[in-house]
Amino acid sequence: MKNFYLEGSKSTPEVSLDAERHVLMIKGQSYPENAFRFYEPILEWVKQYFEQVRESVQIEITLPYVNTSSSKCIMMLLDEVEQAYTNGKQVCLMWYIDENNESEFECAEEFKEDFDFPFNIISLNTGSSLC
Amino acid sequence: MLTNDSLLDIQNRMRENGFLICFSGKFTQAIIEELGEAVKKYLEMEESPRNDIFNIFSIFIEQTQNIRNYCMSKEGNEAFERIAHSCIVTIGKTEAGNLIRCGNLIEEKDIPGLVERIAVICRMDKTELKMYYKQKLREELPEGSTSAGMGFIDIARKASQPLEYSILKVDDSFSFFTLQAIV
Repeated sequence: MKNFYLEGSKSTPEVSLDAERHVLMIKGQSYPENAFRFYEPILEWVKQYFEQVRESVQIEITLPYVNTSSSKCIMMLLDEVEQAYTNGKQVCLMWYIDENNESEFECAEEFKEDFDFPFNIISLNTGSSLC
Repeated sequence: MLTNDSLLDIQNRMRENGFLICFSGKFTQAIIEELGEAVKKYLEMEESPRNDIFNIFSIFIEQTQNIRNYCMSKEGNEAFERIAHSCIVTIGKTEAGNLIRCGNLIEEKDIPGLVERIAVICRMDKTELKMYYKQKLREELPEGSTSAGMGFIDIARKASQPLEYSILKVDDSFSFFTLQAIV
């Protein structure tokens, strides 16, 4: 499967979906004009990828700011991860946050509440796991 | 030589109202991004608490994108130009805290739906808001949606006091909607 890469911009995160290293990364602020259009190809790629992957997959997310429509898309993405996990795939999510920003931590925690797959919230400041 | 002092007038009125930043005109995604980043930098320079900056920025983005989405929903419609050019957003500081306000013209026929949506949110406490937010986050959206319909809920969650709004009649077809959030 071909790797997927998008450079970041002010309102869109850098996206790197690597089917060789099995690392899926989203990094940066997310508040595009149309979040659904932005995330559609990402969701499509991830869906196909999980259908064929056999190796263990690492997902790395850093979203210092995410607007409501992007949150909805991230939720759909995490649903795909959960589905894969339920189907027996090995997945592990690292969600990086700035420890000085309480709201970022809350946002990550709220996503975590809804899922059973391994979901680690990690401090960007110290590199240590917060929960 | 310029003879009128209207700019000074505007400045005085802005000062009286505690305005730091004000933009009035057509919102585009590029303007929202530039202003948003400027707001963030300004607050960082003022050494505002990290959390406040985050909340003000979030509210600013949700408010302006809400308005932008409303305008875009009128594209191709007679009302489009008037609505699109009626947008205003201000960020200010008063004793109550940081005030983020935005306003725009809305069509008469859209008022009941808007009031229904916002009134529910204004009555909720933080726990209810969180539950409502999560419920909406899980809801399936109609095909072709460009917005998650969660902006007001998110603004209310990030504000430190209940949201306030007003709707002022402008003429037979339009009213002016103002939304205020305090951080």
